[in-house]
Amino acid sequence: MNISYNWLRELTGARLTAGELRERLTMAGLEVEAVHEAGDDFVLEIAGLSNRPDWLSHLGVAREVSVLAGGEVRLPEMRAAREEGKTESFTSVEVEAVDLCTRFTARVVRGVSIAPSPAWLVARLQAVGQRSINNVADITNYVMLELGQPLHAFDLEKLNERRLVVRRARAGERLTTLDGVERELDAEMLVIADAARAVALAGVMGGAETEISDATRDILIEAAHFAPASVRRTSRALGLQTEASDRFERGVDPEGQLRAQARTVALITELAGGTATTDAIDLYPQPATPTIVPLRFSRVRELTGLDVPMRDSIRILGALGIERAGADGAGSSADDGGARSAAAESEAAANFVSPSWRTDIRIEEDLVEEVGRHFGYDKVSDTLPAANVAGEYRAHEGRRRASRRALNACGFDEALTFSFIDTAHDEQFEFLPGLVRRADEASRLVTLSNPIIEGAARMRPTLLAGLLDSVRHNFNHGTRDVRLFEMGRVYAADSEEGGQPRETDACALVATGVATEEGHAGASRELDFYDLKGALEAALAAMNVAPVEFAATGARHLREGQAAQLTCEGRAVGMLGRLADDVAAAYKFKQPVYVAEIDFAALLAAAEAGVRYAPLARFPSVTRDASLVAPRRVTFAEMQRAVVELNLEQVRRVALVYVYEGERVPEGRRSVTLRIEYRADDRTLRDEEVDELHGRIVGTLEEKFGAQLKR
Amino acid sequence: MSSGIVGQQPETVREAFEQEFGRFARFRAGGADELTFAEAETALRELAELRTRHTGKKSALAGLKKLIGRVAAEERAAVGQQIQQLENEIIAALEESKQTLDAHVAALRVERELLDVTLPGRRTRRGHQHPITLVRQRIEDIFVAMGYTVEDGPEIETDFYNFDALNIPPTHPARSPQDTFYTTEGFALRSQTSTVQIHAMQRRKPPLRVIAPGKVFRRDTPDATHNPMFFQLEGLLVDRGITMGHLKGTVTEFLRRLYGPQTRTRFRPSYFPFTEPSAEFDFSCFKCNGAGCRLCKGSGWIELGGSGMVHPNVLRAVGIDPQEFSGFAFGFGIDRMCMLNFGLDDIRLLFENDVRFLEQFN
Ligand SMILES: [Zn+2]
Repeated sequence: MNISYNWLRELTGARLTAGELRERLTMAGLEVEAVHEAGDDFVLEIAGLSNRPDWLSHLGVAREVSVLAGGEVRLPEMRAAREEGKTESFTSVEVEAVDLCTRFTARVVRGVSIAPSPAWLVARLQAVGQRSINNVADITNYVMLELGQPLHAFDLEKLNERRLVVRRARAGERLTTLDGVERELDAEMLVIADAARAVALAGVMGGAETEISDATRDILIEAAHFAPASVRRTSRALGLQTEASDRFERGVDPEGQLRAQARTVALITELAGGTATTDAIDLYPQPATPTIVPLRFSRVRELTGLDVPMRDSIRILGALGIERAGADGAGSSADDGGARSAAAESEAAANFVSPSWRTDIRIEEDLVEEVGRHFGYDKVSDTLPAANVAGEYRAHEGRRRASRRALNACGFDEALTFSFIDTAHDEQFEFLPGLVRRADEASRLVTLSNPIIEGAARMRPTLLAGLLDSVRHNFNHGTRDVRLFEMGRVYAADSEEGGQPRETDACALVATGVATEEGHAGASRELDFYDLKGALEAALAAMNVAPVEFAATGARHLREGQAAQLTCEGRAVGMLGRLADDVAAAYKFKQPVYVAEIDFAALLAAAEAGVRYAPLARFPSVTRDASLVAPRRVTFAEMQRAVVELNLEQVRRVALVYVYEGERVPEGRRSVTLRIEYRADDRTLRDEEVDELHGRIVGTLEEKFGAQLKR
Repeated sequence: MSSGIVGQQPETVREAFEQEFGRFARFRAGGADELTFAEAETALRELAELRTRHTGKKSALAGLKKLIGRVAAEERAAVGQQIQQLENEIIAALEESKQTLDAHVAALRVERELLDVTLPGRRTRRGHQHPITLVRQRIEDIFVAMGYTVEDGPEIETDFYNFDALNIPPTHPARSPQDTFYTTEGFALRSQTSTVQIHAMQRRKPPLRVIAPGKVFRRDTPDATHNPMFFQLEGLLVDRGITMGHLKGTVTEFLRRLYGPQTRTRFRPSYFPFTEPSAEFDFSCFKCNGAGCRLCKGSGWIELGGSGMVHPNVLRAVGIDPQEFSGFAFGFGIDRMCMLNFGLDDIRLLFENDVRFLEQFN
């Protein structure tokens, strides 16, 4: 809110400069975001707090200034220049919706002359960013800015039967508001009506037909209190936010209506002439009862660490309008500021009355805050709590960090994507095994009822959709070589309807383009399936989990024949492979993309692969290679297993040298070169022994897989 | 036997050597500079052959030396000296030339094998950690060293954890579907990591020290300074006798460890439903150290987060007696800290995953 420096000075007499005020107000909780000059005045832009609607007025800010600068708030002139007759002899008011309108006051001024406002009023409104309209409209505006109470002036003669009814709108009822827009109302909206029709949207905006005009002679001034939730609802429903609705939504002083009426009438009779009625109609069936809040003065120190003398606590609260309730025990003993022992002070307590404009003050801690913030948080000394507990990372943090670094070392950049994705991805991907627990297609995933990005209503059941979006973003910006991974949660509905959704840690990888060397511009080669698998293996090795097995599989989003499933401790924990052509086409990818997604939670929790030392070999080993031309469908793992299953004590290792297919190897077959290591623990193996073992192995492989030894 | 046996032979040997050595003579004092590497190597090889021919076991010079024993005793010394001198001259000529050529070859070899040590080393491209991870790990390390336990809770929450237990009134605008995401089954995407305070206090009894870094969601349309998803860090300490002094001391100590010992903090009164009293905290600008610069918009201070003493209603909601225990809580945005630390000008960069962006972080 824009606050005029001169206005504040009139209300407080404070002699602080605008710069000093800026600093002091900010440190008291009224953040002054900017100060600028406006003629002979300064304007302070104050960002208030949501629980302090009283700061939406010069009076509210003046109360804070009076604590900061000393002195008292001086309320402005409240007496009408001319008074005659009772309000009820000129109009009547009926409140039907007492639940939405807790107080309604009305007063009449007859014989006013609508004219432009005097220069000072125009200048002041202009300084705080308001446009001048005419004297009466400006005065209601001015009083709202001064005291925080929105007001409305009706042209009394334009009101049917010269009376008001506060009621809910009739469904479909129409009202043209002051901004010239005709609005259709619903039955939950509160309106002020005359005998025939709605004439104002309560707490939001007046109607055009009963607006003050140059011809207006008699006016009715309304100052009311409306239920904040009702005003908020109407304002939102109509998309109409006003100075008045802002204030009512956040809560205006329920006791401030008559004061604002009096101030308005005083200014109108002074500046626009006319004669005011001597009283106001005041419909206030259930007056607010003041809240009494006890304060043990020692709590200030216990919560803030500040040593505030009791007399200062009382002074600060008093200046804010928070007065002590009637004498009661220790409270009354705190009366005089004379000498008293610290011990007595620490025992002392008093009851305070929460002022009507301070709905935020309800409990002792609220009073502690008032005292503390005005005594000054800068006086709170920094203290470190004594250490009494040991620090601890999240479970498996070591594994998380190690796997992240391993993936970095394999050339993968860490990505983070939004947790909500487009529902269009639902059918594209196969999710992590075990993630989806509900059979019903329509409700098995988690859906947002109010997404902010169009279409992104699905809480992601897979990280792949977001990562592939990132790949596309990179392609669109000219980066063709992309390796990304993400660690984050995926979501699915609970097995029970209404149960809290399931969230589990996943990790996904994407790779496309060529492998590059750090610092080199040229490419070394195209990335493929085995780059992705290698990165996964590196991450798993860094996590030191029990062995993970890879086996060929099929999956919705993976190309047939180029997909593998990961298994750890007998449990499926993920999949990898080349992105299927139809999914790639949906993303408009023209180059191969490889993807993997793993159940990170399961792997984080998996048993650690133990280390058991094996004695170093005392006798040399002998290695022999065997190149076997076998059908392509025979896997390396099958060949390896076939050798292992021979159970030959001296066979120590079966490793891959290379795979070759092409020239001189028939279609449908490939040449696999294995290197087999032979060793005995108690002697050096003789050539003939190795020859015999190697022969048996080659023979087994030839026979089992229809392979031929390549010579 | 007389000196006649030797006769004019030394002169003949000298002449024969000089004739063949002639083309190498210029190398005795430098003179190899214009030779290419190959020419110099050839010259060296030929010189070595020349040496064998003229000083080897089968050379004329060797034959001459064998004759010395057969010279008459009284002349032997003089003849021996004469032959020795001849040998010295020949070897000196060969050596000097060889040295010149060797030096030239060595110099050329250095030139040939010279490495460009500024070429990039041989290693495959390295990936990079996300800036949020970098900042988050740093913060976690500091707080763990200060005795805090890192915790987390669900990202999809019940109203109880996201609002009720945090003393957020039923009418508070933060609850509206305008501001908070809801699932079709009525759960809220957590709008602050303060929810973890509640989980932590339910799981464990005081004294406790917890930080909760994590993802939070608010219904903001993405722009340069907003994202509908971001990362926050919440801190909580509950014990007997905890005051705002401990809050200030802790936040200041953390920021000093992060930004250096010259860092100062400032607490401004504020309002949060789950703390009372509440304060926002600023720290002295790490770029200008408080003098005022563009980063801090001239104020010398950088606004970072919110804090306060845990509201008694929050303590009561988890069964802790606010008369016996008190605590503080604080929170700030990790994304915002990334913006500050790395000078980002558009927060959307954090979730676009542009490789050109990601590879700047290490
Ligand atoms: Zn600065």
